Amino acid sequence: MAKESFDKEIQFLRMLVLTSGAYSRQQFASRLGISVHTFDKTIKRLKDIVSTVHQGLPYEQSKEFAETICYSYYDSTDPLLLFLFRAKSLKESESQRISLLLAAMQERPLTAMELLDACCSSLDAGLPMPDEKTVRSDLKYMEAVGVIKREPGPRPYRYRIHNDLIRELSHEELLDLYDFVDIMANTQVPSVQGYLLRDGLKKQISRSHRSGRGDVTEPYLYKYHYYSRILDEAHLFTLLDCIRQRRKVSFLYFSPKSARSYAARSTNPLFERESEGRQESTLPLKVVYDHQYGRWYLLAYDTRQGIRKYRLEGMTAIAAGESVAEEQFVKRRGELEEKIRHSWLIDTGRPVTVRARFYNPGHSMPNFIKERVLLQGQWGRITDEDENSFTYEIVVNGTIEIKPWLRSFGSSCEVLEPTALRLEMITEWKELQTYYESLRENI
Amino acid sequence: MNPFEKIFNYGIISRLEATGICMITAHERGWLKAMLQHPAAPDALTPETLSKLQQLLDGEMAIGIEGIMVEKARSMERQVYHSHLRPLRRIIGSRNGMALSYAIRSGKLYTGQEGFPYKLEYSMVKREWYIIWYHFKNRMMMSTKLDKITGISELPLEDDQSERLSVQIQARLNKRRISAAVQVMPEYNRELSRILYAFSCFEKDVDYDPDADCYTITLSFSNNDSEYVLSKIRFLGKRVKIVDGGMLQRRMYESATKALERYGMA
Repeated sequence: MAKESFDKEIQFLRMLVLTSGAYSRQQFASRLGISVHTFDKTIKRLKDIVSTVHQGLPYEQSKEFAETICYSYYDSTDPLLLFLFRAKSLKESESQRISLLLAAMQERPLTAMELLDACCSSLDAGLPMPDEKTVRSDLKYMEAVGVIKREPGPRPYRYRIHNDLIRELSHEELLDLYDFVDIMANTQVPSVQGYLLRDGLKKQISRSHRSGRGDVTEPYLYKYHYYSRILDEAHLFTLLDCIRQRRKVSFLYFSPKSARSYAARSTNPLFERESEGRQESTLPLKVVYDHQYGRWYLLAYDTRQGIRKYRLEGMTAIAAGESVAEEQFVKRRGELEEKIRHSWLIDTGRPVTVRARFYNPGHSMPNFIKERVLLQGQWGRITDEDENSFTYEIVVNGTIEIKPWLRSFGSSCEVLEPTALRLEMITEWKELQTYYESLRENI
Repeated sequence: MNPFEKIFNYGIISRLEATGICMITAHERGWLKAMLQHPAAPDALTPETLSKLQQLLDGEMAIGIEGIMVEKARSMERQVYHSHLRPLRRIIGSRNGMALSYAIRSGKLYTGQEGFPYKLEYSMVKREWYIIWYHFKNRMMMSTKLDKITGISELPLEDDQSERLSVQIQARLNKRRISAAVQVMPEYNRELSRILYAFSCFEKDVDYDPDADCYTITLSFSNNDSEYVLSKIRFLGKRVKIVDGGMLQRRMYESATKALERYGMA
């Protein structure tokens, strides 16, 4: 079977989640460059998976899919988009066989032949019976993904389920572990494996929890998450593997900045004819997560063009390529590290010193301005301070990336240097003032 | 490592769930092993559990991200786990009430304040934990920083009592919800993706007018998050304009006017 990359489903879901209901079926389909028929088929497939994975989910046939998966803060404990990672298609017979094999190994370690017997006696009558070769290849696969373990000892080998992590913990310990996993999956990146583990632990806890009072597994909320961020983690691991193995990577790239991004008229990436994208082959060096927007970037090196930056959401059909010499990789990585040392996000432009004066809130108020600057100001420093204000200074590559952050403080922040940035800020505030000028008399 | 392994297939998962079998892959163990190296691990787990887990994960490969993955523009991480989480989550789980002692900003102390805990909430911006709860005597929803809590005790409640309180809390939270409509300035439509990403942390509806090629995003949030919404809107600058949401629009006008005063442009 061809390797499923889920590029299309990811693109489809991302657009659905980000534009929450903006487009009609026709508009949505045309923006993705697909037919309405393909749109309907994709929705149906996604709906089927969602309803199987989330059996408790309020779900009606008539309900719009966008509504089903839309973000709701107080119900955000289970990341709904996780269902995508459950979507790998599998034949009914294979899904039944693997489940039966795991169930048999749950009791005690078994040999391949014993497992073959157990499987044949419980498989649905209509399904094809597996042969020894199939069972052996299933065992090999399950051992490789770590769900079973071969017992030490002579042939014939015995296999057992590898879930000691759960079996050897008491209920109290499981609860502590669940909390830890929930907190880490929600506050750290990467998170997909954490969410998958959380799912398993949650099921185990609700099975063993006998008091019957309430739901023990959903006490936490996180304010606020970038809801779609786990979609971008889908490609992350391929890239991390390539970097670790010092291998080049090739992919078809659709720059979200270009007119082909789905904001534009004729649009989108992934469903369009492949010739619309740009085939890239590059040496991946680092992956960057930007907390400001909840987006991922790949930083890479290209012999002709030097340092290259890509948004993960624009990368499709990713494949590992040839490896490069360690020496070459280390050299390029060193150069990159030097270049991004002063990047607010990923800008590798010329470093400039930005100085800004921040004004404290009124006397009786807690100083949330300073608190926020200390929390979010990255490597910048507070250089001087008086009763009413303080000066913050940072050396940063270019001013484009830091500007939105400075602006978000409103009138509590005055840019002092560089002059060009100060002038830009003045111009922007003037324009913003005109946006709301008509309200002036009400103030 | 491919997160789309067939072993994660929903058919397999639901079959295993039906038969009560628990499965863990090397991916998940590798992730956990990496997370156990985080300084929060010894706070969240007892020394016995932690060493048991480390033993169970001995020989596993932690997902190696060090030096490969960089996080930018992240808030400093001052608190990931708080020691009050353990007792409070157990009270929430058993659906009982509680008595809290805590200090407020002015330093004033409150002791034995009785109420019903709803959820523990982590602020990704402030990187701090809070408890959202209902104060019995004041009949008010409260949000208290765990760091300010000095004492916690459990108050037994009858099932029907906690059921009633949960419903009440839900209604109160819903009452606090407000909304604002933000229009994407059409000249910035090519930056739509960036703008939508920035708002993807809120509950929202997007409306598209094909004739005017104009997008309007209706955000829905709790009234005590207005400041955060405003800072997002200022963050995006000229790209967006609030078209509905009286108080927020006035605040934006004020922001711009006061900012210009700072620059001597009044």
